[in-house]
Amino acid sequence: MASISSIRNFSFSRAYNRLSRKAERFALNIAGNRNNLPTVSNPKTINTIDWIGKKLSSAENRLILGASALLSQPFIDASNKDVDAETRKYSVCRTLAKIIAGTATGYTIRKLCIKSIDAFTKSVNEIKPEMKLKKLRTFLTPTLKYTAEELSQYKNTLGTILALGVMVFTNFLIDAPLTKGLTNAFTKLGGVRNDESK
Amino acid sequence: MMNPSKMFNNFKNTILTKYGPNPAKMLIYTGVLGWFLSSAAQVVAIAVNDKIPKEQKMFLIPQEIGDGAVNVVSFFLVTSVIKNLASRLVSSGKLATPKIRRFLTDSGINLKTKNGWKVPANFDFSKFNIENMTNFYQIKDEYKSFKNGVDVVGMTLGSILSCNIITPILRNKIAADRQKKTLARMNTFDQEKVNYPRGISMDTYQKYASMKYSSPSLKI
Repeated sequence: MASISSIRNFSFSRAYNRLSRKAERFALNIAGNRNNLPTVSNPKTINTIDWIGKKLSSAENRLILGASALLSQPFIDASNKDVDAETRKYSVCRTLAKIIAGTATGYTIRKLCIKSIDAFTKSVNEIKPEMKLKKLRTFLTPTLKYTAEELSQYKNTLGTILALGVMVFTNFLIDAPLTKGLTNAFTKLGGVRNDESK
Repeated sequence: MMNPSKMFNNFKNTILTKYGPNPAKMLIYTGVLGWFLSSAAQVVAIAVNDKIPKEQKMFLIPQEIGDGAVNVVSFFLVTSVIKNLASRLVSSGKLATPKIRRFLTDSGINLKTKNGWKVPANFDFSKFNIENMTNFYQIKDEYKSFKNGVDVVGMTLGSILSCNIITPILRNKIAADRQKKTLARMNTFDQEKVNYPRGISMDTYQKYASMKYSSPSLKI
């Protein structure tokens, strides 16, 4: 059967590559004019772009996602016509609580984990006599040659992986009760019926 | 068998070489891993929860896996496609800084005009990549930091679009459809009893009759 064989032959990576190529051609055609190529000339903008590439870690990225989520998700829930008015209000309160709890724990844990990784990823000349646990300070330092920027991204990556492991547990230990508490507070504030608060 | 210390060094060096020079790639992959782990944690939480009956688990677990798949696939597709677009705009030379433009002009790829820069009439952006140029080393540092920044901006915009707009809309739609189907199934069963009330008491009949689903909106 045609439909079954097309499902069997479906390859996610092939579909993804096709989509990427099409999107690339489309973007290259529409972005800017061939006779007046878009050039970022403002030094402040260039410095900001450079800074973002060098300094933005997953923690700041989570913070940006949280802030932009506050500006979009409550409105998406508020305009969801598939549920009744009371449910809509409740889901807005719950979404707000989830965003605040998730962003606060997500940002803090990522930041702390990146900082912890940094403490054990020192190069030999960074180790000072007054430092404690000197032997462990280079435990996570890679053995290959690296630039300062590469090492900083390496610390961000290891810190983020560690944070993800920690967050599997804090998701239930911190996020869930915090979300519940904030939802109850918001529903009370907005006078929304909340069956889960009992 | 490789010894643990060598394996650990290999792991550290792989992370360094794969993600050290490419922060946007790291943000995408750790983002996918994050979505995957949080979905997996939800599934495990349902599976080990003794308060949820076995029948409900059989319904809830596939539902959670479905939600997780929507999150992971939408995040990966949208974010990586937008990041790749941003990346390609820079590597094709379409978007550049004045220093990169001057380098491209000196190499004969761009032409200086009184308003800025242009490309020759037969130039094909989709076949050109600055990184493949023989004299690329001359602009490498300037180019790399600009490209990494544009990549991360693209990745961030992609994740905002995916996590904060596309996924919530998709999830709301899927949840509403799922509930409509479940309610419809429940009500078909109840409606049969309302239409043919054999072997049930008047109290039960009235209860079933009052449960008849007629509202177009749904309660979550």
